[in-house]
Amino acid sequence: MEKNTQTEIFFGPNHPGVPGNYGIIYDFEGDTVTEAKPNAGHLHRGFEKLMEERIWIKNTALVPRICVEEPDINEMVYAMGYEAIGDLEVPKRADYIRSIILELARIQGHIFSIGGNAAGIGQYTVMQWGTLARDYILDLFEEITGGRIYHIYIRPGGVRQDIEDETFDHILEVMDDLEKNRLPDLDKALYENPNAQKRWKGKAVITEEEAVEMGATGPVLRANGKAHDLRKMMPYAAYDEVDFEVPTGENGDAWDRLKIMRKEMTQSIKIIRQLIANIPDGPVKLDLGNALKYKIPKGDAYVKIESKRGEYGYYMVSDGGLKPYRVHVRGASTPLGLYGVTEYLPGTRIADVPVWAKSLGICPPEFDR
Amino acid sequence: MRNEKEVIKLIENNLDPLEIKEKRKQNISVSFAPDKAIQALSFLKSNSYKHLSTISCVDWIDDNEFELVYHVFSYEDYINISVKTRIDREKARFMTLKEIWPVAEFYERDIHDFFGIEFEGNDNLEELILENWNEIPPMRKDFDTREFVNEEYEWRDYNGKKHTD
Repeated sequence: MEKNTQTEIFFGPNHPGVPGNYGIIYDFEGDTVTEAKPNAGHLHRGFEKLMEERIWIKNTALVPRICVEEPDINEMVYAMGYEAIGDLEVPKRADYIRSIILELARIQGHIFSIGGNAAGIGQYTVMQWGTLARDYILDLFEEITGGRIYHIYIRPGGVRQDIEDETFDHILEVMDDLEKNRLPDLDKALYENPNAQKRWKGKAVITEEEAVEMGATGPVLRANGKAHDLRKMMPYAAYDEVDFEVPTGENGDAWDRLKIMRKEMTQSIKIIRQLIANIPDGPVKLDLGNALKYKIPKGDAYVKIESKRGEYGYYMVSDGGLKPYRVHVRGASTPLGLYGVTEYLPGTRIADVPVWAKSLGICPPEFDR
Repeated sequence: MRNEKEVIKLIENNLDPLEIKEKRKQNISVSFAPDKAIQALSFLKSNSYKHLSTISCVDWIDDNEFELVYHVFSYEDYINISVKTRIDREKARFMTLKEIWPVAEFYERDIHDFFGIEFEGNDNLEELILENWNEIPPMRKDFDTREFVNEEYEWRDYNGKKHTD
């Protein structure tokens, strides 16, 4: 190797171009990445070990912390795992409320990550607008659950408390506002912006074969034209009772993924409206007895749901005791953040690295756990 | 598109499972002897089960065994299969899945970090999450977090009182 042709750079763990405390060690030649090595571990908090030492109900307050971007997804999978092992059926109204919460979470997550993607290419205005639009949804969460980011609302057997009719009206108002004002603003500022298109089109391509081979799901897979969505493939909560489409792309590039995120928000608004219009009356949780003594029989279950970035799964094992025997978290971006970085990042130019990392939705806390 | 019964029949006819059952709708659990598991996964992959969700490891300390669970999914059948196998806890060695699913390299590195299982054929088992770790692998059931913290760190005094007082 000639002198000064190869440069090693530590990208992260604290860098605005990476999504979270996670590093990538690059080798560059000129401004092209020749080798990339994920440098995880800065966020490791030992969640899986902690969960084995806490009773079932206590963990509902712990799981949302696993992924800061999508806390509700974790609450839902944890509750689903408990219900699958215990063979419990949740009341209908709870299913509907869970779906409403998950779709609100999907919209706020998408707005936030579209903002993050925009910031990655220097469009900071969009990020600030996105943060504002997201705040209206956080207000709704505060009204429903009492918390803005971490809600600890979905729990084994149902949800913590019922939603008032007045709150449904507020949700619909925010959805109207999003549809009439916030999202068209986003379209004008970002999606019709030639600069943004130039930066995203044809960049960070992951083909269908590559995505399936490494286990990448969500927008990364759907950007190649296949409508693979767990809400349709393995319906959970109330998704089999609503009518919605799964947006897809064609080219598998960053631009297609960004467009899918935008279209999914429209679909989520549609889903929320249907759910609120058809929500049945009834209880919102099962009576599982003393919360401190929750117990389910011996058994195990792998449960998974569609987060905004794809399959989010928990493998849960119970030995019939008061605590889970083992909980293993499969974050949506685990394959991309570890294997994808090593395999597909080389060849990218240095200025496109944020485009790569952010459009693939890498969320380090879920593989550091 | 096959249903759960047909998939179970397919596995029973072609492979040699120790136990197979339909856990719930769209979920099948099957266990194999350790020497048959990798071959079974290879068979499943060639039968449309191309999506490897993850590899889980469970420490069954009372049975003196580790259980490895491979979760695979088919985009044609929409069925999830959890392939299980148990290995000896003292001689914690197993074959790598890297040749069949390259992404398994990182799942195996994760398990190597936290359970100390060696994967034959995976030449890249360096530390992934943990750094400079000298204790027993932390996700093993006999690793006591409280004891580790007490030995490793000093508790801070609060108004002259120890945290543990």
